[in-house]
Amino acid sequence: MKKRLTLTFPRSTVQFPITYRLAKDFNIAANIIRAQVAPDRVGKLAVELQGDIDAIDAAIEWMRNLEIEISSANGEIIIDENLCVECGLCTGVCPTQALTLDPQSFHLKFARNRCIVCEQCVPSCPVEAITTNI
Amino acid sequence: MRTIAEINDKIHRGQVVAWTVEELKAQVADIGITQAFKTVDVICTGTFEPMESSGAIINLGHTDPPIKIRQCWFDGVPAYAGFGAVDIYLGATAIAESHDSNDLRDQLRINSQRGGGHVIEDLIAGKAVSFKALGQATDCYPRASFENTITKDSINQFYLFNPRNLYQNFIVGVNGSDRQLSTYLGTLQPELGNAVYSNPGAISPLLNDPELKIVGIGTKIWLGGGVGYIAWEGTQHFPLQKRLPNRTPIGPAATVALIGDAKGMSAQWVRGCYFRNYGSSLMLGVGVPIPVLEESVIRDCAVRDGDIVAPVIDFSIPRRVRPTFGLVSYAQLKSGRLVIDGKKVRVAPLASIAFSRQIAEELKQEITTGKFTLTEPVAMLSRDRSFIPQDPRGSSVSLED
Repeated sequence: MKKRLTLTFPRSTVQFPITYRLAKDFNIAANIIRAQVAPDRVGKLAVELQGDIDAIDAAIEWMRNLEIEISSANGEIIIDENLCVECGLCTGVCPTQALTLDPQSFHLKFARNRCIVCEQCVPSCPVEAITTNI
Repeated sequence: MRTIAEINDKIHRGQVVAWTVEELKAQVADIGITQAFKTVDVICTGTFEPMESSGAIINLGHTDPPIKIRQCWFDGVPAYAGFGAVDIYLGATAIAESHDSNDLRDQLRINSQRGGGHVIEDLIAGKAVSFKALGQATDCYPRASFENTITKDSINQFYLFNPRNLYQNFIVGVNGSDRQLSTYLGTLQPELGNAVYSNPGAISPLLNDPELKIVGIGTKIWLGGGVGYIAWEGTQHFPLQKRLPNRTPIGPAATVALIGDAKGMSAQWVRGCYFRNYGSSLMLGVGVPIPVLEESVIRDCAVRDGDIVAPVIDFSIPRRVRPTFGLVSYAQLKSGRLVIDGKKVRVAPLASIAFSRQIAEELKQEITTGKFTLTEPVAMLSRDRSFIPQDPRGSSVSLED
């Protein structure tokens, strides 16, 4: 199965090779979607874990013991329909075609399941209609 | 043949037939040009796109004691005051300054996202905006500074006066370099990562009057949800651009200067915007009615996306003349995919086609319900204006003598 998580590392565990341990000890492929890590700072990692369901549960338990804060609220982009002018500029930078323009109506469509929360659309929006909840 | 007076008479009697330009194109395919000409009186076009050569004239009203404003700021955004004492021009691309630093480079480095376009939007929306002015103290105007909070109801005139709007066609931007570029068309990703076009193509107002035979100075238009007029030819007006046999230009061509009362506009159609590492601008909705005076109007308005082209320009070389990858049609652009140099490229618009359609529909509703009547142009727009580059005096070498 796949599970998307946001991990918050206390300063003490930032130097821990977390994705290596996930792969070696739990046989979990950790796909990093977004990361904000610096030495001696609180770090954030948005990852998609792929592996056996029991292994993922065990890995979450193990990370909690390391005082890594785990939030399973899926990070996603939010489009404010009151601000969006449906220009479609974001569709040109979206790498997974989660954001597209309907070929007939030219209304903006967002396919949540295709979004990898790379956030390239956020600064591309000229009217600041896109934000993330990560 | 029809006259504008006859069409206005029909508008007043509630008998006018108005179609959006897309309805017209569909009808022509269905019933043909002659039959369409017999049926329709007005064709409604619209566009919603960034138009950075825009701004607002504001008359603040006189303070007591009076001030002759020489420098001023709306929410930190500087505006021009080098004319009448309390007359101000707020440009759409002016960016908020930091008052903490006197160094312009520092001020620009703060990368402010708020600009004149945002202030104009807020004023139209009825929001309060802080105002700060410095004056030149004279016997007539002794006051040296003034600060206040203003709204559109606490100032005299507030009208948009835009030197260059409504481009008749534009370009497609790409980036052939190996680094990301921040442009007025938004982010252009390296190695032809994406392409951006900014004109809505066959629904765009001036592409449906390619030779400017109908639209002229004095033409009443729908501007930002209110009423406006074509005031003059726009800056960089270039009607002599090369054209296809259907008379549509193959790149940026005619432009118009627009004027209209901002107090009657809606913030839905006048939006401040910001392009990362490029700057602030204004996205503006404009609707232009095209009266069907003769059959050739129908022929011109029947033009389709497949019949209009734009040049693909490489922004990686920051020179006046940039290299081009040739011409592509708006039908190709609107498919969302292009092949450039054998590479598949994602294409995104910057004009909102959904909003452009909505504006054409709004204008149609206003005409059919008798709220919007048409005007005769008082003069036609120039059709032979050339485009002069600015070069340092004496920089060109004569090869003769």
